[in-house]
Amino acid sequence: MSDVRIGVYVCHCGKNIGGVINPAKVAEHAGKLPNVVISRDYVYMCSSPGQLLIEEDIKKYNLNRVIVAACSPRMHEPTFQGVLKRAGLNPWLLQMVNVREHDTWVHENVPEKAEEKAKDLVAAAVARAAHLYEINTVRAPVVKSAVVIGGGIAGIRASLDLANAGIKVYLIEKKQSIGGKMAQLDKTFPTLDCSQCILTPLMVDVSRHPNIEIYAYSEVVDVSGSAGDFKVKVRLKPTYVDWSKCTGCGACVEKCPGRAPKEFDEGLGVRKAIYFEFPQAVPRRPVIDTEHCLWFTKGICKVCEKVCPVGAIDYKQVERYVELNVGAIVVAIGYELYDLSKLSEYGYGKFKNVISGLQLERLSSADGPTRGKILRPSDGKEPKTVGIVLCAGSRDENHVKYCCRFGCAAAIKHVYYIKHALPDAKVLVFYTDVRAFGKGYEEFYQKFRSEENVFFIRGRPAEIFEGRDGSLIFDVYDSNTNQLINVRADLVVLEGAVVPPKDWEPLRRILKVSCDPGGFALELHPKLRPFETTSDGIFLAGAIQGPKDIPDTVAHAAAAAASAIGFLAKGYVESVPYLAVVNEDLCSGCSLCVPICPYGAISVSEKEGKRVAKVDVIKCKGCGACAATCPSGAMQQNYFTDKQVLSEVVVLAGGAK
Amino acid sequence: MDSRILNEVRELVKPHSPQYCYQCAKCTSACTATKVIPEYKPHLIVALTRLGSVKGLMESGIIWACTECWKCSEYCPQDVAPVEVVIALKNLSIAMGYKPPEDLKVMAKNVVELGYVSPPIEVLSKEFEMYGREALSLPELVKPYVSEGTPTNLKKLLGGVYE
Amino acid sequence: MSKFLLFLGCTIPTKQYSYEISVRNVLPKLGVELVDFPESGCCGFPLKGLNKKAWIYMSARLLSLASKKGLPILALCNGCDTSLRKIKDLLMHDKDLREEMAKLLSNEGVKLDINAKVYHTLEVLHDFVGVERIKSLVQRPLKGIKVASYPGCHMLRPSDIPRPEDPVEPRKYDSVIKALGAEVGYYPDKGGCCGATLLPYSAKHALLIVASKLKTIKEYGFSAVSTSCPYCMEMIDAKQDAARSEVGDEDISIPVFYLTQLVGIAMGLKPKELGLNLNVSPVEGVLDRLGVSLYE
Ligand SMILES: Cc1cc2nc3c(=O)[nH]c(=O)nc-3n(C[C@H](O)[C@H](O)[C@H](O)COP(=O)(O)OP(=O)(O)OC[C@H]3O[C@@H](n4cnc5c(N)ncnc54)[C@H](O)[C@@H]3O)c2cc1C
Ligand code: SF4
Ligand code: SF4
Repeated sequence: MSDVRIGVYVCHCGKNIGGVINPAKVAEHAGKLPNVVISRDYVYMCSSPGQLLIEEDIKKYNLNRVIVAACSPRMHEPTFQGVLKRAGLNPWLLQMVNVREHDTWVHENVPEKAEEKAKDLVAAAVARAAHLYEINTVRAPVVKSAVVIGGGIAGIRASLDLANAGIKVYLIEKKQSIGGKMAQLDKTFPTLDCSQCILTPLMVDVSRHPNIEIYAYSEVVDVSGSAGDFKVKVRLKPTYVDWSKCTGCGACVEKCPGRAPKEFDEGLGVRKAIYFEFPQAVPRRPVIDTEHCLWFTKGICKVCEKVCPVGAIDYKQVERYVELNVGAIVVAIGYELYDLSKLSEYGYGKFKNVISGLQLERLSSADGPTRGKILRPSDGKEPKTVGIVLCAGSRDENHVKYCCRFGCAAAIKHVYYIKHALPDAKVLVFYTDVRAFGKGYEEFYQKFRSEENVFFIRGRPAEIFEGRDGSLIFDVYDSNTNQLINVRADLVVLEGAVVPPKDWEPLRRILKVSCDPGGFALELHPKLRPFETTSDGIFLAGAIQGPKDIPDTVAHAAAAAASAIGFLAKGYVESVPYLAVVNEDLCSGCSLCVPICPYGAISVSEKEGKRVAKVDVIKCKGCGACAATCPSGAMQQNYFTDKQVLSEVVVLAGGAK
Repeated sequence: MDSRILNEVRELVKPHSPQYCYQCAKCTSACTATKVIPEYKPHLIVALTRLGSVKGLMESGIIWACTECWKCSEYCPQDVAPVEVVIALKNLSIAMGYKPPEDLKVMAKNVVELGYVSPPIEVLSKEFEMYGREALSLPELVKPYVSEGTPTNLKKLLGGVYE
Repeated sequence: MSKFLLFLGCTIPTKQYSYEISVRNVLPKLGVELVDFPESGCCGFPLKGLNKKAWIYMSARLLSLASKKGLPILALCNGCDTSLRKIKDLLMHDKDLREEMAKLLSNEGVKLDINAKVYHTLEVLHDFVGVERIKSLVQRPLKGIKVASYPGCHMLRPSDIPRPEDPVEPRKYDSVIKALGAEVGYYPDKGGCCGATLLPYSAKHALLIVASKLKTIKEYGFSAVSTSCPYCMEMIDAKQDAARSEVGDEDISIPVFYLTQLVGIAMGLKPKELGLNLNVSPVEGVLDRLGVSLYE
């Protein structure tokens, strides 16, 4: 090792340190320690004269290590690293000693002992400093493109924002059309604008945008590489229609004899075996459902092939895979509704006239199964009394513990649907709390709770039974009026709980994104960084981070896009200084470190006839888990090597005396 | 208002969680007893227990109206188990000197002395004959306790009620 | 051959004799061996309001006695079944409670052991004997009779412990009835309560519960009701007349059978072998339709 030449600088921090101990004494003590060339104290080390003092000393005394005994490194480490840089030294040859938070602030009442402690801490740092070495970070360029997974309103907004900033976007949607849940809604609270009217223009913008490529009916099956340079493998499911030839004319759909329950209508309507998801679908391309197609099930028919004017039908189509190289990934796969049949007491799935809120949206929609008429499913009659149950499965220890965040507002909107379509109907809303928290929501609630024959009842049904005529009979205790109300309703609407989509779990493992107790994607910080994840380059947009209404979803998606744009615009990703480094001579290839690494940064491979661990410098975040796990000491972490830490410990344990 | 009663109840209803009740009244919507005795309201009993003001419940004896159908507990979204809260309150009321319904005292006495809630009786048949176990050729019913330890233990546990 | 300890509880051996008679006569014909359990007695369920520990103690005692015999318990009564399973569960998860009970039991020379398995009549019929076996033994199908199953609260709830019937979607009971050739069907609040526990507090209100139950069942077109719990039977059979007069509704009149009685009728047993002459409700109507005389 070349000559170690240390400069020690003890700061007074005004009276914070100087008012308890005598920094000059500490400096004087340090001056006697090995390798210390110069030691000084100063009232404010971080001030410009303080910084200048160090900078000049480095040059004058040819220092190659600097110790600053002052405040927390979280406060001023970057400041003093800047000083080293300006003086031509590698910034990681700096060692800070925290004699403020760790010493004078906590030992104010025993100043002599505090001074002793400061001397010891500085001595330990001096021992450690001898083992510091230069650390250089590496930069890798980012690929200026992004994958957006999920084409609901969140994915749409994020894609448009990214694309408008000049970034190439691949939008991956599981279903055959983008649009998500919002496409299924009739109107949107609290303004009651028509959902399709505000959504479909955006869907068209997406399809026409030169920077956006849509992969519909597709899913992400693998992600490799790292932030800035991801390789995303996408599976294009067979649609049995050559979409490049298809013009979306719909001749096939019209003539198809196969029938199946229509997913888009939440099972209330019927669709063909070859079908568009809904009339305004983007892309407007059909898909054959092999479970209901007569050709696939019985080997007869082939009508679609006969009627297609461009010969796009292809019964032999197989799945395809593409690999996309992108810098960033935005996850926007939204939410799913909780399976309401699990709340067996409410009879959903058993009683035809117990429906979900989303089913009511479809009944109310002009393009829905009843062309916008609200009719009860059992007999197509107009309901005279409708019950709406809030928190169906939400805030429930047996089902979903958290609040769905839009059930209350959706219920108020549903009051409007019913009163608008059936002015004479009675509507009973069973609530526990009405959480009308959003902008304009309280006013919305005020308006509809005042309507004629609309009753907000503070109570929750416990068991719903079916009457012989298909109506629903149940008791609800109203804790506002202190009475048990016997209800007979023609239709019951459950505002159901919200859960992450079923395929989120496998996808999240591929992306290495953590989840919260409810299973939704875990953000980097619940308040300050709600659209980033612990994995660099992977962002969250919309309800996949937790249930959100549309205003919140859009704000969140725009923020995620902005954050992704910032990340890509910087142009490079940089490794952390505290990288894990392998001493290949010591490494036995035991692989214990591989599963320990939360970022998947370590791989073990053959090198010169021997298995050794390798760290991906961009993926490594310097958490140190591998170094702590390594049984042979081969894995070391920059700035926290065994030697550095132990030399410090030895001094503190009194070994140096 | 204090949490002493709630804490005693919590101890007795483990592992349920009466402290989490958010007064949705789903229990009372389900309650068999409420339908016939409107003054009986499990959600209110839980709320009063949380407040510690259970004197009225004990004095009036309304807690004994529970049919123990367990529906409240079945459907409660917060795992409160109101029925078990009610059972706990019954226990506490007896410990505090309130009287249970007379019939229950008789049952308890029978269990201690005979091993059953009542002695075997003769029943009237469709042919208007009275039948007991013997006439029906059923085996003789013996006192089930093999040792005096059983009634002694029971008396100790039942304390005041048995006297 | 499955072998069980016949645990009668309180109500059955002291007044609901027809349940005991039908069980003793029917189950052995289905290949179930019954072993008497004379040292059993009360499960403690009725005592829980007075003192929960007394309840726990009584059931802990029964479980221990049965475990020593090394046989599973056949509980005929819903209350007994719930007691034994609930207390088993409580003790399993609470070491302090186990120690407390072990100490009490040692006073009577019993070692605490909660390993005994507990089964209810319905489980023995449905899970051990099996619907197919029952079907094969039917000699007198209950054709044209629509039976409302009435499982009773404690066959279903609390559902956080193992239950004889599926608490979410009760179906075992109906599938046994169907195996006998009878019809089954839906009616509101099938898993509802008979009100028996309300008796000591207010007999009048308990009867109101019975009346409203039976009225619904009649409205839904059933010709008979079946239960498997002596408390439910006591309420909907023995107290049916009282319930009718309480509400003054002549319509409230329907035959009620124990499930084991129905199985016995279908298997061709004589009414007296099933204690049918002890049922209070008008069971003769159904028997007539099947061409069976109550007094044969
Ligand atoms: C009954 C009801 C009424 C509502 N009414 C209103 C209202 O009036 N106003 C309001 O503000 N909010 C309302 N909402 C809430 C609204 O639905 C959400 O705020 C919004 O849909 C969230 O958008 P998103 O894009 O995050 O998720 P989603 O709409 O769920 O979109 C997610 C998209 O991702 C796709 N996807 C899922 N998994 C994958 C995968 N693995 N790979 C690729 N793609 C995938 C889905 O197919 C879907 O297209 C209502 C909700 C309900 C249930
Ligand atoms: S006890 Fe449960 S069901 Fe009853 S009010 Fe409280 S939370 Fe609701
Ligand atoms: S157990 Fe008691 S309190 Fe609970 S629902 Fe039944 S009767 Fe009501």
